Amino acid sequence: MRRSASGAVNMAERWPECVRSVKGVILDMCGVLYDSGEGGGVPIQGSVEAVRRLKSSDLQLRFCTNETQATREKFVAKLQRLGFDIDVGEVFSPAPAVVSILKERCLRPHLLVHDDVLPEFDGVDKSDPNCVVIGDAADNFSYQNTNAAFQVLISLDRPLLFSMGRGRYYKETDGLKLDVGAYMKALEYACDLEAEVVGKPAPMFFQSVLNDMGIQPHEALMIGDDLVNDVGGAQRCGMKGLQVRTGKYRPSDERHPTVTADGYVDNLACAVDAILKHRRV
Amino acid sequence: MQQAPICQKQVMASHRALKAVLIDLSGTLHIEDAAVPGAQEALARLRRAPVALKFVTNTTKECKRTLLERLRRLSFDIEEQEIFTSLTAARNLLEQKEVRPLLLVEDSAREDFAGIETSDPNAVVIGLAPDHFNYETLNKAFRLILDGAPLIAIHKARYYKRKDGLALGPGPFVTGLEYSTDTQATVVGKPEKTFFLEALRDLNCSPEEAVMIGDDARDDVGGAQNTGMLGILVKTGKYRAGDEGKINPPPHLTCESFPEAVNHILQHLLDTK
Repeated sequence: MRRSASGAVNMAERWPECVRSVKGVILDMCGVLYDSGEGGGVPIQGSVEAVRRLKSSDLQLRFCTNETQATREKFVAKLQRLGFDIDVGEVFSPAPAVVSILKERCLRPHLLVHDDVLPEFDGVDKSDPNCVVIGDAADNFSYQNTNAAFQVLISLDRPLLFSMGRGRYYKETDGLKLDVGAYMKALEYACDLEAEVVGKPAPMFFQSVLNDMGIQPHEALMIGDDLVNDVGGAQRCGMKGLQVRTGKYRPSDERHPTVTADGYVDNLACAVDAILKHRRV
Repeated sequence: MQQAPICQKQVMASHRALKAVLIDLSGTLHIEDAAVPGAQEALARLRRAPVALKFVTNTTKECKRTLLERLRRLSFDIEEQEIFTSLTAARNLLEQKEVRPLLLVEDSAREDFAGIETSDPNAVVIGLAPDHFNYETLNKAFRLILDGAPLIAIHKARYYKRKDGLALGPGPFVTGLEYSTDTQATVVGKPEKTFFLEALRDLNCSPEEAVMIGDDARDDVGGAQNTGMLGILVKTGKYRAGDEGKINPPPHLTCESFPEAVNHILQHLLDTK
């Protein structure tokens, strides 16, 4: 008992050493900055101040979300109302990323997404679709709409499915809800294909954030509440990954069979305390 | 028997004593509302042999009564208790586990679950039920499964044919729920082993003493043979050229249609002693 306890302490104390070489921090949003719920949600204690402190440090800061129930502009405006000092240009979300892929590859999507994210696709040709893009469509995941996406895919010679994230579920005030991953898996199974995931944990998505900061993977630290998608995804890109014990965190995450975070911290404020303290040493 | 022997040289496939014949319905005895030519008469001949019969089918929409009405319209001599469907298999499993299901099946199938308690559900049963495959209902199923309710799938078909084209079957929704809850569904229909074993249960015979006749190489023949039965593939219904090569081991026999399968059984698989 004693040995494992002290081992855990050592692990927990060791992670801040890596921040000396860190030049940029990437923050997940929902579950790290705020908890979603009625009226846009509530900030997690200390996180508004933690973001401010990071911003006034010498570290670069970006935000990385799989949110696809709103345009990036509306989403950022919501966070600003909650008190966060965030600009649209600092936020990476799947919809703008998928739009740039569609344009680059001359693809015309059939969309199975939330109504509120549709404006992101305003400039995209959606006639005679040759691929399907799905996001967290929530109530738009009716049988009819899911079937329409299936019919587009099954009619294509080379079915192509883009999924904005691959989350299993998320928490809302009225309970747990199926996330886009369930529907991605449903369409994969129906059409015998593998979706291209845009958003976390896709390496390309993390890479675009690193490119924007102009730093190498080992110089970046990702902080998130989703062990597999935030922490595991970042680690696979060569970044360090911290898990916060807020949001969708569950104690069993710390005994996960395949993903071990570089560190576990109670919340964002604690993480920022430790980071800034070590940088001053 | 007045039929000319098909192939006298085909030596007895085995010395197993045949006690039961399982017969698929759609595609094997009939195609939609037409009987396979000669099938009624062949069934009558099979009934005179000392074997038990069971009619086994993957259905998620039609209750036994509907199936039986169609078969009787087509002049097949079949009793209701001889029919074993994937819905029956699901019902048996519910009774065995003593659970109360959230039933995501079409109204036309609910009859086969009559008498099963469904209030305050602690299990989820998924058939082909487009009307129930909306976000709200699937979330309800999702939360029950996360709370430990078993997920029972009537079958996992990817899609089915509708007048307006292909449409999503239950399989994709079952797969989505499996992913989100990190659990595995219990599939009760063909080609699952348990399906065939359940179908044989009240016949007092082992899989080695039974043969299955069907038009689906994977679900009928492959499934039966994996259970230890012999499988006969008929080239009617959904059969497509080359289907017999898609399973390993190959079918015990591939033949034109149900009457020919019956001939084979009568001439080669029955102990005439």
